[in-house]
Amino acid sequence: MLLQQIINGLTLGAVYALIALGYTMVYGILQLINFAHGEVYMLGAYLGIIILGFLTSIGLTAISLPLSISITLVLSMLFCAAYGMTIERIAYKPLRNAPRLSPLISAIGVSIFLQNFVMLSQGATDKVFPPILKAEGLSILNARITFLQIFIIIASILMMAGLHLFIMKTRLGKAMRATAQDRKMAVLLGIDIDRVISITFIIGSGLAAAAGVMVAMYYGLVNYFIGYVAGIKAFTAAVIGGIGSIPGAMLGGILLGLLEAFGAGYISSEYKDVFAFGLLIIILILRPEGLLGKQFGERSK
Amino acid sequence: MLKLENIYTSYGPIEALKGINIEVKEKEIVCLIGGNGAGKSTTLMTISGINRPTKGRIIFNGEEIHNIPPHRIVEKGISQVPEGRRILPRLTVKENLEMGAFTRPKNDIQEILPWIFETFPVLKEREKQSGGTLSGGEQQMLAIARALMARPKLLLLDEPSLGLAPIVAGKIFKIIKEINEKGVTVLLVEQNAKAALKLAHRGYVMETGRIVMKENAEALLNDPGVRKAYLGE
Repeated sequence: MLLQQIINGLTLGAVYALIALGYTMVYGILQLINFAHGEVYMLGAYLGIIILGFLTSIGLTAISLPLSISITLVLSMLFCAAYGMTIERIAYKPLRNAPRLSPLISAIGVSIFLQNFVMLSQGATDKVFPPILKAEGLSILNARITFLQIFIIIASILMMAGLHLFIMKTRLGKAMRATAQDRKMAVLLGIDIDRVISITFIIGSGLAAAAGVMVAMYYGLVNYFIGYVAGIKAFTAAVIGGIGSIPGAMLGGILLGLLEAFGAGYISSEYKDVFAFGLLIIILILRPEGLLGKQFGERSK
Repeated sequence: MLKLENIYTSYGPIEALKGINIEVKEKEIVCLIGGNGAGKSTTLMTISGINRPTKGRIIFNGEEIHNIPPHRIVEKGISQVPEGRRILPRLTVKENLEMGAFTRPKNDIQEILPWIFETFPVLKEREKQSGGTLSGGEQQMLAIARALMARPKLLLLDEPSLGLAPIVAGKIFKIIKEINEKGVTVLLVEQNAKAALKLAHRGYVMETGRIVMKENAEALLNDPGVRKAYLGE
């Protein structure tokens, strides 16, 4: 039972962490809560269904399932990266020097637009993910881990490790950290911050799309509203870890996933949101900057 | 090398620069002196493209630069060390320097670093420390070194001695002189007018957004008005 809840919690937590990273990176650089981020995740899930459906229709899934899933993941990430970049150009960039509330409202607008756009174009009913994945897996002690769960956990860890290396080691990653720490100084150093901001949205949206595809495969159901709940949960994870902190988002996501799994497993699944937001309240009271806050987002001036 | 022609800059309704004309020639050290709110820092920020002039032209090596983005201005060879040094606190000293060379080709960093470490040996010792842990003097050295990483033709320095002990400030001024002797043109803003004028070839005196005087440095040092207002005599 314990091991089973840990497995379920890690799976869920890895997904929350991937979405939370997008919130935290954008916040670190722009001090903007990108409320449209959950919708990008939702778009990723829909794109997953569409692309995998197409691959099934041309018979690729019958030949190689892992290959099909990889193609689906990559294509969905690319599409959503483009979406994220476009959203920033259209909805946030013109408001770069406006009061901070303006881009926030713009973000809510984009969120409502995307929900309704998907509802009208894809229908308001649940979409079922192509049932190509059988619930095969391994049994360890008394617990079961499906191959899909293993895939989700490993793929998430790889993406997070890749992001960490990118941020810490590459020139562009360092420029992102520089921009987060002191935007004006970054400009004075010759860093093209428009480019840095675009890349932040591209990466954040790509990770959200990956989360969307994986959740769609995991639960098998998608509707136009899933971005809302997942977005709020991931935002909670980002705040728990310390908004603006990249390791914080990873930690916050995993913690939240584990907490929900334990709450659902030992108490009642009806209450799992209560545990998540209860933890948020406790953190906000005891440590408002989050568990690992101030590593990435705080400005020196 | 650099020419500001009739530059006006505003912050909303407040006009901070009211038609200033400044010229900096190659290999010179030119200093801007004046009281608080005279518009000295605004002048530097306008040259760097952070503030946009509402009127006038800025010409650098024969090219208009007042309407190109700030990162392109750095590429053209103008780097600024802003007031307060603005070290990136959670990047290491080495990473701060690397960011200074952001506009340069990648392999350029390895070429210029030895010279930087020779000029600023303390930075070599602190290479792996995060920028926020350095002392004020060390941060100022890092800020200057970071600006030099871009191989600027013109270096804009805003209050490099601010908040430093006199002996440390003296070191910084000595370094500025060395840099200039190596061929970097310098436009310097300083509260410490005496030290600045001793270092500079020419100076401009600013008051409430206007240039009220321009002279060679020695003449300014001996001017009774300047002595009274800015040299504390």
